[in-house]
Amino acid sequence: MTVNGERHEADVEPRTTLVDFLRGTLGLTGTHVGCEHGVCGACTVLWNGKAVRSCIMLAVQADGAELKTVEGLADGPTLHPIQRAFLEKHGLQCGFCTPGFMISVYELLSRTSTPTDEEITDTLGGHICRCTGYQSIVEAVHVAVEKMRTK
Amino acid sequence: MSERDTGIPTSVAELPNSEPRYVGRPIDRLEDPALLTGRTQFIDDLVLPRMLHCAILRSPHAHATIVSVDTSEAEKLPGVVAVVTGEDAKRWSNPVMTVPPGWGTHCLATDKARFVGEPVAAVAAVSRYVAEDALELIAVEYEPLPAVADARKALDVGSPLVFEQNGDNVMLRKLFTWGDVDGAFAGATHVVQREFRWNRLGANPLETFGVVSQWDELEGTLTCRGSFQAQHHFAMARAMVFNLPLNKVRFIAHPHGGSFGGKGGARGTDITALLSRKAGGRPVKWIEDRMEYLAGGASQAWDRHYDAAVALDAQGKVLGFRVRLLDDLGATAEGWGAVSAAKPLTSFTGCYAIPAAQYDLTIVATNKLPGSPYRGMGPPPHNWVLEQLMDLAARELALDPAEIRRRNFIPPDAFPYTIASGNEYDSGDYAAALETALAMADYPALRAEQARLRAEGRYLGIGLVNTIEPGVFDWNAYAIVGQPGTGVPEGATVGIDLFGKLTIKVGFALEGQGQYTVAAQVLADWFKVDIADVRVIALDTLAAPPHFGPGGSRLGVAITGAVLGAARRLTDKLVAVAAGLFRTTPEHVELRDGRIGVKGMPEASMPFQEVAQTMLARSDLLPPGVDPNPEATYVWTAPGRTPADDQGRAKSYLTAANACHLVLVEVDVETAQVHIRKYWIADDCGTRLNPANVEGQTQGGVAQGVGAALLEEAVYDEDGQLRTSTFMDYLLPTIYEVPMTEKRALCTPSPFTPLGAKGCGEGAMHTTPAAILCAINDALVPLGLELREVPASPQRLWTLLQQGKAARR
Repeated sequence: MTVNGERHEADVEPRTTLVDFLRGTLGLTGTHVGCEHGVCGACTVLWNGKAVRSCIMLAVQADGAELKTVEGLADGPTLHPIQRAFLEKHGLQCGFCTPGFMISVYELLSRTSTPTDEEITDTLGGHICRCTGYQSIVEAVHVAVEKMRTK
Repeated sequence: MSERDTGIPTSVAELPNSEPRYVGRPIDRLEDPALLTGRTQFIDDLVLPRMLHCAILRSPHAHATIVSVDTSEAEKLPGVVAVVTGEDAKRWSNPVMTVPPGWGTHCLATDKARFVGEPVAAVAAVSRYVAEDALELIAVEYEPLPAVADARKALDVGSPLVFEQNGDNVMLRKLFTWGDVDGAFAGATHVVQREFRWNRLGANPLETFGVVSQWDELEGTLTCRGSFQAQHHFAMARAMVFNLPLNKVRFIAHPHGGSFGGKGGARGTDITALLSRKAGGRPVKWIEDRMEYLAGGASQAWDRHYDAAVALDAQGKVLGFRVRLLDDLGATAEGWGAVSAAKPLTSFTGCYAIPAAQYDLTIVATNKLPGSPYRGMGPPPHNWVLEQLMDLAARELALDPAEIRRRNFIPPDAFPYTIASGNEYDSGDYAAALETALAMADYPALRAEQARLRAEGRYLGIGLVNTIEPGVFDWNAYAIVGQPGTGVPEGATVGIDLFGKLTIKVGFALEGQGQYTVAAQVLADWFKVDIADVRVIALDTLAAPPHFGPGGSRLGVAITGAVLGAARRLTDKLVAVAAGLFRTTPEHVELRDGRIGVKGMPEASMPFQEVAQTMLARSDLLPPGVDPNPEATYVWTAPGRTPADDQGRAKSYLTAANACHLVLVEVDVETAQVHIRKYWIADDCGTRLNPANVEGQTQGGVAQGVGAALLEEAVYDEDGQLRTSTFMDYLLPTIYEVPMTEKRALCTPSPFTPLGAKGCGEGAMHTTPAAILCAINDALVPLGLELREVPASPQRLWTLLQQGKAARR
């Protein structure tokens, strides 16, 4: 598979989850495990351009796939506009759920540069944040839209 | 003692800087770049050489004698290195201390299991997958016992006993009477009395608890790395559990993915320590999974039955307040959950000048998960009860809910004000918060809209609630459950390096509230440097200055005090050196706008960095007796706190923030769904050191309050089986449920605290559940119904609506 542009090959037990593979085998620990049953969204990664929950996928399902994780967002020390927007709008507190949120927002903004409020809500609706109460995350998405447009 | 005696500024104007750039402004957080790029090292990201992974076998029974545990097959599984049971725990450790005392067990069940999810055995293996495989090979023979999962039944004679040796299930029973309560009720023209039920719910941070423990038999030391809140506190407890000197226990807290009160994880830490010992000192990691968290972690709090009443005169003035609380703490008192029954003493009578009050408290054990702290620690359900009674009283007296509150507020000129239960409020203007919220919402227009829609058969409700947020935690209020103590230290070490940059060393890990940024803001403004020139680092329990860390809306104020105190001490050192260099005496030298020089002589000054560099590079030039290290430590403790008297009265939490929440809901009487339509907040937590942090804490508290009010509930059946062990059935609020709120800040600075700030971490959790339930009940008035149980789930509300329909038929 290719993760953040880098090719990886490994033998895995069939039962290995994708998130365990990313974190344990590849050492990409930015993707977090929150509930292990697909509800909270903390483990969200891009799988061939689609946001998926890596805790309820098997590593073998990603054979040959193109993956993107939070580590693939920034360009060296330069934060991605989405990351920048989350920072500016205080769209995170403990930050544990944040990589998952940002990956879903990334997918949304890859599909459309002018998301409706409903699309934003539905994108964020698949994620649980226990700290922020979502308001600052919504604001961060609006700022990210603006930043992506003027990039 | 006041802050003035310590030289710590109580207002921003007192900083040695004519143009502070950071304090009071919404500064971007220093914590964020690492979090946003996935580089922050949470505990599960840590890999140590030869590290093993732990999985824990848990009791499927709520109450059962453990006849035998056979681990021989598990031990044979390739990859398994160590297996531990209750026998190992008995051999190598003590039961944990509890509050109240005498209700604790070892980290693994020995004689019997007391709740579903209690650890019975554990495995350390080369991977978590193998460790979980091994659990299936452990044979435990149980003899199930009758269980008790209801607090009222636990009081019955003949109830199953959770701890037989204690004779009954009553962990604590106490009655406190403050003032002439009987007289107040006897002389009242109105008495409003109701029963209320608050069901169990809990913290549920997105990151569960995790730990890596390492036992060194040669040195006799234990090192634990983990997502610890209050690392030093847990190190002390481990020293007692394992009979180790405290200097041989080292705790290293990693950043946590949220805590909200529950990141201590005593059992997991102790189990991994035992496994490491048995595995010859290899580090053992345990990451709690979500089902373990929900069934056996710090996931449950506040399982309460209330019977409460207010007595009023004809004008709606509250004369007395009575609360009888039956608190179900679950199987043990290990989780510090009992302190949440004590914390209401810090704000028993809320925002109101109620002269007499009574607290009749019973805490019982049942065969359920032990209760743990959760954001707010007890006042949230208490406030809910008090505010419902205020609304009911208003209805009985035909007063507007706003008016009855106005008539009872502690007036702004009465501060500092000591409430009936003994705590002192520092400052506030409650009417101002109320009027602000009413104006924001255009309250008269809302009421008109409510009346108009009511005529159309739609049920809108308005909830209007004022509460106190006791801030800056200490132990004094907890004396009534057997937890003595005055003061909680928070230390900071501030130093200047040879290149002139500043470092703050603290004893707590990131948890999300942004306190590293606050510490850096304060120090940057003290020395008038760019915030980028300040770095904050966390040290472990053996290296850090005395500390407690986050908890009880405390750390923002406490770390500000610690940093300012250390900066003051460091400045005194610099002044002494500069006085020598300028050939004058220290009283003629001062720090002003980043320069140290002779007072009134701007030309006789130098940047503070140069003084520090002289200390580091040319200590031979210094005046005699000067410590040449440009570093200082200060340990801050809330000033003026008092231990509790025999009635539990103490000057306890230092600050009393307050807020008014006004919420508009619509109840769909067909589906029993509650829709939050609008939400306004007027909030006063004194000086806002970083307003963005405060707003985030407020909004996050609203979200958790919405969960408490409408969704979250740990459900047990009557046999003590947990029915909510996943996020499919324990419902956390998502963006669809949490309203975007309109907030306005008010400010009555605390006269007692550094820079006038008040604790603000838990505020909205104190207010939101009460506000939403007041709104729901306001909506139900035309139906003659009252919902007196949380959460107001659709099922619960639907049942009530059906009962109402049946009664009207």
